[in-house]
Amino acid sequence: MPPPSGLQDFHDLMRYRIMDILLVASPYDSFVLEEAGQIGERVVGEFRNLDLHYGPGLTTVSSGEEALSLVQEVHRFNIIVSGLQLPDMNGVELARRAKELKVDIPVVLLAFDAREVKDFVAHHDLSLIDRIFLWQGDARILLAIVKYVEDRRNVVHDTETMGVQVIILIEDNVRYYSSFLPAIYAELLHHSRRLISEGVNVNDRIMRMRARPKILLCSNFEEAWQVFCAFQDNILGIISDIEFPAEGQLSKTAGLDFARSVRQLAPDVPILLQSSMPEHWGGAADVGATFLLKGSPTLLSDLREFMIEYFGFGDFVFRMPDSREIARAHDLKSLEDRLSTVPSESIAFHAERNHFSIWLKARTEFALADELRPLKLSDFTDAEDVRAHVIDTIAHYRRDRSLAAVGDFDPSGFDARHDFQRIGGGSLGGKARGLAFVRMLLGRRRIAETIRDAVVAVPAGIVITTDVFDRFLDENELRDFALHAVDDQEIERRFLRARFPQDVRDDLYAFLRRVDFPLAVRSSSLLEDSQHQSFTGVYETFMLPNRAPSLETRLHHLVRAIVRVYASTFSRAAKDYIRATPYRLEEERMAVIVQRIVGTQHGTRFYPDFAGVARSHDFYPTPPATASDGVAAVALGLGRSVSSDGNCFRFSPRFPEASIQWSSVKAMLASSQRAFWALELSDETNPAFNMRETQFDLDIAEADGTLTAVASTYSRENDVMYDGISRPGTRVVSFAPILKHKTFPLADVLDQLLAIGQWGIGAPVEIEFAVNLAKSELAFLQLRPLAVAHADEAVTIEAYEPDQLICGSKSVLGNGHFEDICDLVVVDRASFDRALSRQTAQDLAKINADLGKRPYILIGVGRWGSADPWLGIPVTWDQISGARVIVEAGFADFKVTPSQGTHFFQNLTSFNVGYFTVNPDAGEGFVDWAWLKAQAAHRETATARHLRFEKPIIVKMNGKKGEGVILKP
Amino acid sequence: MNDYVVSLLAEVKAKNPAEPEFHQAVHEVADSLKLVLDRYPEYRKAKIVERIVEPERVIMFRVPWVDDRGNVQVNRGFRIEMNSAIGPYKGGLRFHPSVNLGILKFLAFEQVFKNSLTTLPMGGGKGGSDFDPKGKTDTEVMRFCQSFMTELYRHIGPNTDVPAGDIGVGGREIGYMFGQYKRLRNEFTGVLTGKGLNWGGSLIRPEATGYGCVYFAAEMLASRGETLEGKTCLVSGSGNVAQYTVEKLLDLGAKPVTLSDSTGYIYDEAGIDREKLQFVTELKNVRRGRIQEYTTKFKTATYTPLDARMDYNPLWNHKAQCAFPSATQNEIRGSDAANLVKNGVYVVAEGANMPSDLDAVGAFLQAKILYAPGKAANAGGVAVSGLEMAQNSMRYSWLREEVDARLRVIMKSIHKSCVETAEKFGTPGNYVNGANIAGFLKVADSMLDQGVV
Repeated sequence: MPPPSGLQDFHDLMRYRIMDILLVASPYDSFVLEEAGQIGERVVGEFRNLDLHYGPGLTTVSSGEEALSLVQEVHRFNIIVSGLQLPDMNGVELARRAKELKVDIPVVLLAFDAREVKDFVAHHDLSLIDRIFLWQGDARILLAIVKYVEDRRNVVHDTETMGVQVIILIEDNVRYYSSFLPAIYAELLHHSRRLISEGVNVNDRIMRMRARPKILLCSNFEEAWQVFCAFQDNILGIISDIEFPAEGQLSKTAGLDFARSVRQLAPDVPILLQSSMPEHWGGAADVGATFLLKGSPTLLSDLREFMIEYFGFGDFVFRMPDSREIARAHDLKSLEDRLSTVPSESIAFHAERNHFSIWLKARTEFALADELRPLKLSDFTDAEDVRAHVIDTIAHYRRDRSLAAVGDFDPSGFDARHDFQRIGGGSLGGKARGLAFVRMLLGRRRIAETIRDAVVAVPAGIVITTDVFDRFLDENELRDFALHAVDDQEIERRFLRARFPQDVRDDLYAFLRRVDFPLAVRSSSLLEDSQHQSFTGVYETFMLPNRAPSLETRLHHLVRAIVRVYASTFSRAAKDYIRATPYRLEEERMAVIVQRIVGTQHGTRFYPDFAGVARSHDFYPTPPATASDGVAAVALGLGRSVSSDGNCFRFSPRFPEASIQWSSVKAMLASSQRAFWALELSDETNPAFNMRETQFDLDIAEADGTLTAVASTYSRENDVMYDGISRPGTRVVSFAPILKHKTFPLADVLDQLLAIGQWGIGAPVEIEFAVNLAKSELAFLQLRPLAVAHADEAVTIEAYEPDQLICGSKSVLGNGHFEDICDLVVVDRASFDRALSRQTAQDLAKINADLGKRPYILIGVGRWGSADPWLGIPVTWDQISGARVIVEAGFADFKVTPSQGTHFFQNLTSFNVGYFTVNPDAGEGFVDWAWLKAQAAHRETATARHLRFEKPIIVKMNGKKGEGVILKP
Repeated sequence: MNDYVVSLLAEVKAKNPAEPEFHQAVHEVADSLKLVLDRYPEYRKAKIVERIVEPERVIMFRVPWVDDRGNVQVNRGFRIEMNSAIGPYKGGLRFHPSVNLGILKFLAFEQVFKNSLTTLPMGGGKGGSDFDPKGKTDTEVMRFCQSFMTELYRHIGPNTDVPAGDIGVGGREIGYMFGQYKRLRNEFTGVLTGKGLNWGGSLIRPEATGYGCVYFAAEMLASRGETLEGKTCLVSGSGNVAQYTVEKLLDLGAKPVTLSDSTGYIYDEAGIDREKLQFVTELKNVRRGRIQEYTTKFKTATYTPLDARMDYNPLWNHKAQCAFPSATQNEIRGSDAANLVKNGVYVVAEGANMPSDLDAVGAFLQAKILYAPGKAANAGGVAVSGLEMAQNSMRYSWLREEVDARLRVIMKSIHKSCVETAEKFGTPGNYVNGANIAGFLKVADSMLDQGVV
């Protein structure tokens, strides 16, 4: 997908870069170069002075032959800088020989004597030479040469791609431009770097420098005019000598003529004319140009002033139409602020003259400059309309831009409404990376324009990156201890006693000064959210009311929460979990997200209207929904209801009104949400404050007014579930008002977000979210890939020989591999008596209880859990709760519609139990009954047999295809 | 088993192959009717039993409807009008993918006797469709119900056939079907029961089964000159039936001491009083919590979690006089029955359907305690269905107290019928025989009166 116009991709600029200079100088010239120190180091130093993040390599040879030989053998040189005269040839000869060798690199001559230049130019054809410069003892000339060549080679592409700007420098005097060019580059680079500062991180800054204005040096009228015409729309300004060649002869007014010609086509282009003759000042003024006296002691500061004023390098100066200054703005944020207060006539004045664009382009904000290109007052109702348009455009742009990358934390500028920034330079970790990616996706896909009835965003927050974790461990010498300790409480105790980095603490303090909402402190480790291991629930999340009157207290709690997250990295649960993955605990690093909790305060409770999880792939699809339609699970209050106790509401975003979870009112009453989680705000002052959610009954939600949006009412008298809570009766969290009556576009929004997430990640995804209805806000809390069976795994029945399998089915619910089951309980198809189904249920219950925590595979006939004993075995879930995989086969003597796990749906989905449906009479799957019968029973009753194997029975379920196999051990 | 019953069963099996549940049901009824059939040959001559096992009418029909996506769906509808000798057909409608003719026939057959036992003028029937409510939206369910009724309406009526709800058919579906019937017939009649209170439904419906069960137990005790006053009662379950059983026990001065759910049971030696019942009602109906929370609130009570490995249920192992199993099928096994009897229980009234297995029933009968099978003791629910029909006919809605009073009268009648019949057929005090035979006799006698139809 190409980057939209709202955001910019600077990576594509400055494709041509000089990384290696081959300097060819005679021994004497080299001696001159080295007079003030090693030239290579000085070049690097100059680049570093300008904070350019790279400097080209420099190789010096002393003869033409050596140079030619080197460029042939070693193909890395991008430029040859040669003295005029070499021991074995001159610079022109070198260029000619290089061309013959088809070595296509620019050749620039560096003279060491001004007289030598004049003479050389007079007697040689310089058509193969890019330019001649004069060494004047300043190593910056090499920087200028590099930049000059780069700009020449990149200008066409960069102006076309992004509208990068161009400064035309017209000067024919070699000595002059050899000293002036380095100076002007230094100024340009300095200003450019200074201006790229707002809301971006280091990487972004480096990238944006590629979009600084290009300088094109011309030496005569024709050359300059050609450049002007080629880049007319991108001309930032013209700096020109007044006397230079035109039509092959030196013209004393060439610069004035040029300026006049330019003025006819571009009346507003800033022009600076230079001359050693002060009398030209009047002529310059006549053509509306600024005049600079060559040789003036204030030349550089005058140049600087000119660039600041006319190239937009300085403040944006708001003026009235009569040129009276009324306000200034030094960055985008202050520009946005001033725009609200200055008179609208001033805004219209600047907008019509393209002043905003020029100023923005100096800050490499090309996309925004493009949107604010010259505005005609006639396009708007009035000047106020112009103001609104400009403010709106800038505000949107700033917001979109902040979505594109996670900027460094700005203690004074952090915007608590929507900023997401980092503290530290390490990794963001899996969860935060997912959130940053979501922010970028939401910006790119212009989500605000496609989803109009809800505000979708990642809640504001900061990420404390992994290098803070490393520092914490290393500075307190905790790493070794933590890796080997087995007592979680001891780990936490020692971590809490350790010292937290002071600079980070200061940043957190500054953060807390700007935020007054409750905070979630969440783990974001490197290994979390990998495509293959979910790590869900392995690490800790803490909730902070953030309400204590004292900032120090709030900081204290925040730091404790962060440290406790660090400690959880080394908990036994984490160690056990990682042991079962291909990763090592030593590889794990922990970043921490500190983020706004979405919600509203009700009394002393704080919680969202509801929260949930949505998946783009459903392993337990209920028709009409298919697996790829996805599924969502939601609950009133904080999301813990969805993740922990499973009593939540499931629906398909594509079929929100279809009742996919329960087939009866009774089932709904039995397993719908009964309580909700909220953050108790008053806990903070309690010494036993544990930073966790508290559970409340639904009547509290009704009193808070939050039940109305999500509940239905069950009438016992009428045996009906009524939408809403207008009638008396039992309240049931059904989400009917939202899903049936569309009081909030939840289904649509989730469907779109899943599609976007899946597109972005390139795989099925799971998203966590929370909703605050009062603000129509859907907060994106996490995006992670969904662990689905790999496409290259051959989990199909056809991939196995029949005699390898106990069971194979193409109608399987669930997903995953099980390799730890050694027990199997079977109700034999041939001998099963439907009249004894109740007895069978009791026998199975006993076996289940005896097996305790040992998981097993349950194979039987008829509809498992059927209330009607003639249609299946009427077990309740707790009678078969240890089953990890259930196989339902059709009766031998009676055709019955398979239940597809209907009776235990809630439990299957909560515990990820596999469910195989086999109906061999209909050609659907099979069970090897004969093999099962032939196995010796570990234990047997009249109706069921319990088999135990030494080797595990491997179960493979492909959730994507709905196919599965159970392999013989 | 006598020859007649043997040949009868053989014929039933031959005519209804691959319907073992129907065979089983016929077998059970025939077994308990041995005494009747031996004593009164006119039933055999008129082939009453052969006629009873054959439905009067079986209606099978197509139910097409359009789903939300515009796709045409086709389901099958059934109505088995089993027997109308004593009143219009009465029985539930079941919407479930497992519904087929065989299952419905067996259910309809049992319904005939269940309804007859209530002493109300209700015949027996059953119906439904293979429609699966799961995954359907409200509008799809409505369209299905409307299509279903568009065919069924021509076969039912307040004086012909009065369906009710069953699995998959709750208040919502009854509402949709009633609305369509009314539109098609242009008349407002009591053609369905289970209606909403605002449009013809009866009060006391949720309470009926629990109240009825206690009323029956009171009658059983009254037959011995006793009352429920002061009796310690073991109650299982904690749903509607159990809650209202406890409420009525309190009304009559008894002392319930247990309640349970799928996780375990509580035992409160001090007795579950009204305050505690209120707590349980709120716990179960509003908060839908676990019965274990009872002991958090009332600390003198004890909670015992369920243990499927045990051979008996400790809930039935407390000193008491009465037991009201109101939870689920097969919750009282032989060992439990032995414990009940050993602990002094001499009244067992089944609020649930078939909570005692065959061994337990055998143990109760052998101990000659007052054992009321579910088909008699839990007939309160069906009875109130009949009362709804009565109110609809009168175009009047009775107050709670009135319905309750009538329910009590009905349970009294059922009891009287069971006792007299058991006595008459030489098994005094055997409510199982009494219920089975009484239910049959009313229907059989009516069939005799009405000629060979």
